[in-house]
Amino acid sequence: MENTNEQNREMTAQESLSLITETLNSSRREITRRSSKYYILWGALLTLFSLLVYLLWKLTEKEAWCCLWFAMPVIGYLLARLLGRKDTAVHVQNDVSRITHGIWTSFGIFACAVAAFTLIFSMLGTNIIRTLFSVAGLSAELVLIFGLAECACGVALKNWTIKVAGFITGIGGLAIYYILGLGYEQMFIFTFAGLVLMATGLLVKRQYR
Amino acid sequence: MHSELRLAIMSLLAGVDEADFTYLKEQTGATSGNLSVQIDKLSEAGYISVEKGFRGKMPRTVCRITPQGTEAFRAYVKALRKYIAAGK
Repeated sequence: MENTNEQNREMTAQESLSLITETLNSSRREITRRSSKYYILWGALLTLFSLLVYLLWKLTEKEAWCCLWFAMPVIGYLLARLLGRKDTAVHVQNDVSRITHGIWTSFGIFACAVAAFTLIFSMLGTNIIRTLFSVAGLSAELVLIFGLAECACGVALKNWTIKVAGFITGIGGLAIYYILGLGYEQMFIFTFAGLVLMATGLLVKRQYR
Repeated sequence: MHSELRLAIMSLLAGVDEADFTYLKEQTGATSGNLSVQIDKLSEAGYISVEKGFRGKMPRTVCRITPQGTEAFRAYVKALRKYIAAGK
C-alpha cells in the first residue's frame, strides 16, 4: 500500500479476496512474532536455572537446591511483564493469543503443582504417594508436559518450528533423562529444553522479521 | 468497504478482538491522516467502534469491529466468492 490514492482505490473481486486472506493471516503472524521474545526469555531463564541448580547440587551434594526452581516462575513473570511494557503502544489480542497464553499458564500451574506435591509427599513419605510423585520421575514428567505445551502452542499458531521444537524438547528431554540418570545430571534435561526454547524463539523471530 | 484501506482495516479487525491505531497503521502502512479518515467512515457506517483513551500518559485509540460490521464483512466476502465463482 504505497500511497493514499492507491490505498483508497476500489479493487477487483480477486484483489479484495487476496487482501482479506493476507490481512487475516497477518494477525496470526504478528502474534507469533511477538511470542518469540518470550520464548527467548523463558529459554534463557530455564538454561540459567538448570545450570545453577546443577552446580549447587553437585558442589554441596544436596538436592534441596531444586527448591530454587520455585523462584523461576516469579522472576520470569516479572521479566515478562517488563518485556511486555514495550508493547503498550501497539496492542492486539485475539483467540490465538488467548489460547497460547492459556496453554503456558496451565503448564505453569501443572508444573508448580507437580513439583510442590513431590516436595511435600517426599517429606511425608507414604509409599503409594511416593510412587505417584517420585522425585526421581519429576524431571521426566516436567519435560514431557513442557514439550506438550510447546507443541500445543505450535498447533494454535500454525507454526511448524514451534511444533517440532515441542517434540524435540519432550522426547529429547526424556531420552536425556534415561541416558544421564537420576542425579544432578538430570538438570541437563532443562538446559536442553531451555536451549531448544531459545533457538525456537530466535528462529521464529527470523521467520517473521 | 470497497476501498483498499477500508477493506484492510475491516479484515484486520475481523481477526482480532481489538486493535489500536498504531497497530492498524503498522499493518496497513497507511498515513495517520488517511487512516483516521477511513476509520471515521467505517465508524459512521456502524461497522467499527472507536474508543479514545489513555494508556499511562499516552493517548490511545482502540478500534473494534461491531456485530453489524462482522455481518457486513461476512456478506461482503460471501458476495466476492460468489462473484469470482460465477466468473469461472
